Amino acid sequence: MKLSKKISTLILSLVLLIGTFGHANAAKRLHAAIADWTGGIITCEVAVAILEREYGYKIKQTVFPSGTGLWEAIAAGELDFACESWPSYAEADSVMLNEDLIYEGKVVGSYSGDGSVDLLGTAGIIGLSDYWIPRYAAEKFGIKTWKDLNNHKKEFATIETGNRGRLIACPVAGWNCHDQKRLDLLGIDFQADELGTEAAAIAEAKAAYMRKEPFMLYLWSPHWFFGEFDMVGVQLPDHKVCDPDTFTEAGNWKDCGTKGWPATGWAKDYTMNYGNPATFAKPEHADAKKFFENMSLQNIDQAKMLVEVDIKKRDVKEVVNEWLDNNPNKWKSWLK
Amino acid sequence: MANGVEILEKPNQSKKLVTYSIILLIFLVSLWLSSQSEGPSKFPKVVTDEFTFTAWVNEGEDYLKKNYRWITKIIASYIKGAYYFVEDFLIDSPWILITSIIFLPCLIAGGLRLGLYSLFVVYFWGATGMWEPSLQTVALMGLSVLMCVFFGVILGVLCSQSDKFENFMKPILDTMQVMPAFVYLFPALFFFGIGGAPAILATMIYAMPPIIRLTNTGIRQVSSETIESATSFGSSKLQLLFKIKIPLSLPSIMMGINQVIMMALALVVLACFIGAEGIGGQVWQAIRRLDVGWAMEGGLCILFMAIMFDRFSMSFSKSVEKLPSDVQKFYLLPQSWEKYSIARILEKPLSLSYNFINYICLKITNFTAYISEFLISIFNKKIGNDIGEFISRRYYIIPSFFIFFAIAFVDSYIFTFGSFPEEWRLSIRQPITNSVEALTVNPGFIAFTKGLRAFVYLNLLRPLDIFLTHIPWWYTLGVFVAISYFTVGIRFAIITALLLLFIGACGIWPQSMITLSSVLVSVILCFVIGVPLGIIASYNERFRNIQNVVLDAMQTLPYFCYLIPVLMFFGGGIVSAVLATVIYSIPPIIRLTALGLTQVSGTYSEVSRSFGGTLLQTLNKVKFPLAIPSLVIGFNQTVIMAFAMQIVTPLIGGKGLGLEVFNGLARSDTGRGLAAGIGIVLLAIIIDRISLAWTKKQREALGL
Repeated sequence: MKLSKKISTLILSLVLLIGTFGHANAAKRLHAAIADWTGGIITCEVAVAILEREYGYKIKQTVFPSGTGLWEAIAAGELDFACESWPSYAEADSVMLNEDLIYEGKVVGSYSGDGSVDLLGTAGIIGLSDYWIPRYAAEKFGIKTWKDLNNHKKEFATIETGNRGRLIACPVAGWNCHDQKRLDLLGIDFQADELGTEAAAIAEAKAAYMRKEPFMLYLWSPHWFFGEFDMVGVQLPDHKVCDPDTFTEAGNWKDCGTKGWPATGWAKDYTMNYGNPATFAKPEHADAKKFFENMSLQNIDQAKMLVEVDIKKRDVKEVVNEWLDNNPNKWKSWLK
Repeated sequence: MANGVEILEKPNQSKKLVTYSIILLIFLVSLWLSSQSEGPSKFPKVVTDEFTFTAWVNEGEDYLKKNYRWITKIIASYIKGAYYFVEDFLIDSPWILITSIIFLPCLIAGGLRLGLYSLFVVYFWGATGMWEPSLQTVALMGLSVLMCVFFGVILGVLCSQSDKFENFMKPILDTMQVMPAFVYLFPALFFFGIGGAPAILATMIYAMPPIIRLTNTGIRQVSSETIESATSFGSSKLQLLFKIKIPLSLPSIMMGINQVIMMALALVVLACFIGAEGIGGQVWQAIRRLDVGWAMEGGLCILFMAIMFDRFSMSFSKSVEKLPSDVQKFYLLPQSWEKYSIARILEKPLSLSYNFINYICLKITNFTAYISEFLISIFNKKIGNDIGEFISRRYYIIPSFFIFFAIAFVDSYIFTFGSFPEEWRLSIRQPITNSVEALTVNPGFIAFTKGLRAFVYLNLLRPLDIFLTHIPWWYTLGVFVAISYFTVGIRFAIITALLLLFIGACGIWPQSMITLSSVLVSVILCFVIGVPLGIIASYNERFRNIQNVVLDAMQTLPYFCYLIPVLMFFGGGIVSAVLATVIYSIPPIIRLTALGLTQVSGTYSEVSRSFGGTLLQTLNKVKFPLAIPSLVIGFNQTVIMAFAMQIVTPLIGGKGLGLEVFNGLARSDTGRGLAAGIGIVLLAIIIDRISLAWTKKQREALGL
């Protein structure tokens, strides 16, 4: 009996104590997603820091894996905005956006979905994806383009792939890379291994680089990996769409043989920020909406911050704030 | 006598021979069948096309989302409110206040040792720069545990009062425990939003079973004499329940709370995938950046936190031992050191200060009691008396509150303490990262890992994968049904058939065979490594003690932490997945081997030795057969844990059903994820039941 009383008093007193100190806070609030790759985190952190500095926002950030789930969470209003979506990888964009994507005045993409997610504007980052091999391997074997790969496939083989070479492939099936399909269409005798997470792919690549072993890695740029390790792209054929309506779901792409996607490389990705339409229609968030329309972070700036964050292991907020302090000319123009 | 044994054994032996040859025959046929088939065996298309389980689930989910989301949103908003309230309080408060809120209860409940340990834990959070995430985890876990205990005790009491309700709850509880949390983590998001609320609810699903079970058994175990004497004194049924049964089952309930805390901590870490903040998120971020040191620091924060909460909740169910009056009570050093005079001298000041603090606390409490009694008595004498008495019994809580308020007062009016001081930072990241990187490029070590990888892949994984996926599905199903018929019975054989047909009809037969093969390989490796370790531990107590600490750490450390080193050493892919599974699921088999062998009573081995049995003979012929039941339980737990790990291994290249779950979730295709999740649960249940039944038979055969 004594025990139960002890416990009940403990709980009760804690509640009481919390009650005396709890307090409310009144600021303009938004809820943003923290992306699951560092580039995306930095882009969003730049936006968040500027909104907090210049417009007095208090922004709550939540780590959230990218993919269709994130788009649905934004459409449902669970989150207010997310940053740097890469059109090549997104599945939900053509279903949920209904707007043109404009980069420096040019229309670089247009969507005709149901409009349940609002395209806030370009993030500025232009992404590029390719297959990469370390420079020491390229020089040793004299590999210039993807056409030379078959001659050296044995060097790239592992226990699991047997005679074929191994590609550390696009890690997540939901990104729709169609790596194995591409390799087969191009006649590259490699096996694409999906490792499930970016971390897994990079961990293996990093370890292999440290041991100076040959390996081929799918990766996108800008990425911190290129800041630390010297990699060469294999220059996949230039991106070609197969048909006006390309794929929407995995496996649901048109088979054009070698004429178009996925027998080619990726398109240039004009990345974009996106948010909940209801939130950004509110007059109190007009400033934020305007800001997102103007925002345009350059690749080179993100790459510099990537090196600080991922190689020098510094805190993201610290790095972003330092960049904002030192380069006001680069972002003041987004405020208009 | 000897003749009798022989006669008895003869038919038995020939029966055994028949059994073995049948097993061999079945195996040979399966080998032939699998070598005949050209591709992986698939379920007939007619069935899989008709049985669109995934579509049904998704339609059901859409319907629920459309029509009932408003209810779940209201629930979520309440939970969210409570969570932010606690979280804001913890994070915005001065760090000294938080430290004392954690330190004082530990000191009061667990004595000086636990108190000092809690100080170390809190320091570690701050020193590694994980002050806020740690407190977020504490808030999340605290709320989940409160809600689990509240609902769990109610449900447990209901179970104890009605057998019908208990039977109804049992399968539900089983499913709650085995179902991989990932399966419901993501759907929870769409009903309850992001962050705290769905995390807390998912934690409740995962962590509530033990408290329901233990409350139920605790109440049911109250002796019938006690109940009878209470009834004869005229207690009503409700009085009996609340005044007798529940108080008497409190130790059992406290045990349940302890388990709830541990399980809640494990899941709260996982909840970072649905946007819950805390250490889990930190560890996950560290892993994405391949920062082994950072991930390890996060893991240690959780490990230390878990030990602290474990000891804290245990201290409530532990009774205080009474010492004879002439013995000096020790507060810090082990009591057994009482015989050394130097220890007595060292303890002297502690004991003095204990008495001093005790005296002050008593005075403060009595004074407060007197004042409040006096003040309230002006209005109502009886209430005043009651309150006075209530306060005067709480020697420690009242002074603790004085300390809390004093700190809060100083913080807001005199000197702001703020968050944890930056200067006290102390990081162990770099050394850990450096040592992992040194190993990564160490040629000898890499030759070893490559050899191991090649061996596991070429000799175990690939043959088994091909074998299991290529056997026609009807043959595998038949073998499973036959095994369950002979070990458990006809009813379970039918259930097995239905469960396997369900898996096949969902169109995930090949994936489930891959999962089965990964689990089998992992379990074989666990067995090969774990049993020898268990044997050594059973002979050497010091080794056992060290091993126990390591195993405890392995089980509490979030498994994310060791994924990156495994990847760096072995590369991604199914071999790494198997190795991670082995690390995660090996502890039970080691523990239970050691336990089983040490439990074999000394007389048996004594007898064996006096008949001239060597150490090996004793082990082989006497101890092992007697330890089999315990070994099988260890095996059983290892299998279940290996299945549970299948849901995580896709993060580092695992294949099979776990990958299906992930792919389903990545496309927010709940049906696909759920089907694969159910597949894992069903396989686990089948193997669990079969091995349990087999143990039971073994026990009966041994007459235990």
